[in-house]
Parts: sequence; structure tokens; C-alpha cells
Amino acid sequence: MKITGLLTVIICGALLTYYAMDFPDFGDGRSPANTYLSPHFLENTMHDAHVPNSVTTILADYRGYDTMYETTVVLTAGLACFFLLRRKESTSPPARFFRHVPTGLTLRIEEGGKLPAENSKVFTRIDSLWAPDSLIIRNTCRLIIAFVQLFALYVVAHGHYSPGGGFQGGVLLGSSIILFSISNDLRRTLKRFREKTAAVLGAIGVLIYSGTGFVCLLMGAHFLNYEALSPLLGLKTGDPMARSHGIFSVEIGVAFAVMSVMIWIYYNLSSAGKHDEGL
Amino acid sequence: MIVLTVIVGLLMAVGLFIFLTAAVGMIRFPDFYSRLHPAGMIDCMGVLLTMGGLALFALFDGGISLASFLNFAKIVLIVVFIYITSPTATHAIIDAGMRAGLQPWTKKKDM
Repeated sequence: MKITGLLTVIICGALLTYYAMDFPDFGDGRSPANTYLSPHFLENTMHDAHVPNSVTTILADYRGYDTMYETTVVLTAGLACFFLLRRKESTSPPARFFRHVPTGLTLRIEEGGKLPAENSKVFTRIDSLWAPDSLIIRNTCRLIIAFVQLFALYVVAHGHYSPGGGFQGGVLLGSSIILFSISNDLRRTLKRFREKTAAVLGAIGVLIYSGTGFVCLLMGAHFLNYEALSPLLGLKTGDPMARSHGIFSVEIGVAFAVMSVMIWIYYNLSSAGKHDEGL
Repeated sequence: MIVLTVIVGLLMAVGLFIFLTAAVGMIRFPDFYSRLHPAGMIDCMGVLLTMGGLALFALFDGGISLASFLNFAKIVLIVVFIYITSPTATHAIIDAGMRAGLQPWTKKKDM
């Protein structure tokens, strides 16, 4: 088995190296990318899609097919983490720790001992003996998370005009939830943003992206050719704003996928797939 | 204008001096906890002074208008957010170090 793997790797690597030799040199002035391709994209973004940020146009429009599979790769990473790590049966730990809230004492209850009620206001379950209970951290995170999410929505919506877009906004959205999980604990986060929500939202994100492409197909144009969307958006045929709005809808899909997959991977990695005790 | 240049220059110079001392301190201090002290100082004093200078420059250079006030407000917001988050991060790191059992460095350590 090891020999087979090694042979596969060697053959693939040799093929890749062989074909990489045909590439133009790095920074070659006569390569296709430098002679007509990038000047064409840079000069025509305003005319084609009415988007000043040419990176966004190239990412989501000129090479939108590639970015669609990038989003799929992100979802696949989440799925791989899920299938590798997730365990259904939770092996109960030998002891559990509870904090008595009024006094701040930590109780250690052995397996088989009497546990406090699930919704007890007096005892809160903590993950490990040294889990901090810091008012400062919890309140700061509570203060910051709303701003992080607001800024994330700005980054997603403003990707046409400034650096940003779906990937960056999605990462910000996901990290706000992860920040909540770090400052509180994993169980409380799972109550607010369940694993099923993360999985479904990730799939919905990819669906929004490819769905935009399919709508273009249904309107009689090529896959992901947003110009075909203009009748649906109430625009004249050939209006560049159609492509601008198409890019925006695609960016929303990317943001959904990246956000939920980040959270999903965090859930699985931080609790080793058991989803009972986080970091 | 010369007054503005002098004030902004002074603020920036003092702020950059604090950055420099903090960078030296992060290398020279003996242990984890004492190194976090200059790390926190960069975010508080250094950023406050340099960003304060930039905010004043953005507000007064070229006359006060809505655009320059918006630039000023954005820089002030940066300082506000750094002031909220950075001390908390330093606090959390030190707290984690203490709970994980790292002993602070003392001069009379019997090796």
C-alpha cells in the first residue's frame, strides 16, 4: 500500500514537473498573461461590469467557474473534517467540573456522582479545571462581536469598490462566532449556531453560487454569464449593472459557505469531534 | 500650519519612540509575563500617540470639511477598538499563562 502511494506521488509529481516546464518564465514579458490578458481585464472592468475593483471582477466574473469550484473545495474541507473526526457517541469523561457561580468554587464530580440540574442557575458546567471565568473577556467579546459582524457585512457588500468580498467577509462572520465560542464555551455556541445549521448553510452557499450560474443557463446564455440576468433584474439588455449584481449574488454564496464551513471545522477540531467540551 | 506640523510631528515622534522601546523590550525582557508588558504598551501608548497625530493631521490639514472629519472619525474608531481589544487580549494571555502554571521570573532563582 505504501509502495502504491509512493509510486502514485512520484508519477504525478513527474508529470506536473514535465508540464510545468512548458510554462512561460516568471515575469516573462512575452507571456500571454502579460501581453494581452491582464491589460484586457484591467481596462475593461468598468465597461464590462461597472466594478472599479478589478480583482473582484476577475475573481467572480471572468474566472467565475474557477471560483465556484474554490467554494466547493471549501465545503469539501468542512465535510472531510466532519467525516474524519465526528463521533456520534460521546464517551463520558471520568469527571466533570462545575462552577458554583455565587462563590466561584469549582466542584469535581466523579463518574456516577449526582450532577446538578441541566438548567441550574447556581452551577454552570465548565470544560476543564483551568477554564477561565473572566468577566472582562466575556464582556469585551460581547461588545466586539456585533461590530465584527457589521464590518463583515460591509466587507461582503462593498467588495466591488474596496478590498474585500465573499471570502474575507465570510471569514470575519465565522470568526465572530468562533470568538463567542472561545470567550464562552462550545455548548452555549452550539445552542445558538447548531452543527446542522452550519452544514446546511455551507451547502446553501454553494447552491447560491451554482444556482446563479444555472439561472443564466435557463435564460439562454452561458453558465455564469451574468449578462443574461438583466431581464430578471429589470435592466436593459447589455447593461453592465447586470454583471455587477451577478457578482454580488455570487459573493453572498461564497460568504455563506466560508462562514459556516469555518465554524463547522472549528466545532469538530476544538472538541475532537465529540461536541461536548470545547477549548 | 507650522503649529499643526510641530504638534503632529511631536506626537508621531514620541509614539514611534515608544514603539522602538517596546520592540527592544520584547526582545530583552527575561520572561513571558514581562515581555507581554511592552507588547501591551505598543498597542496602548504607541498607537494612541501615532494615531492621534494622524487624526489631527487628517482633520486640520487642508481645512475642516465633512470628508476630513470622516477620516478623523475613522482613525479615532481604530484607536477606540484597539483600546477595547488589546488590553483584553493581554489579560487573557497572562491569565492563560498563570492557569497553565507558568511561574513568573524572579531575580533570586535557585537553579
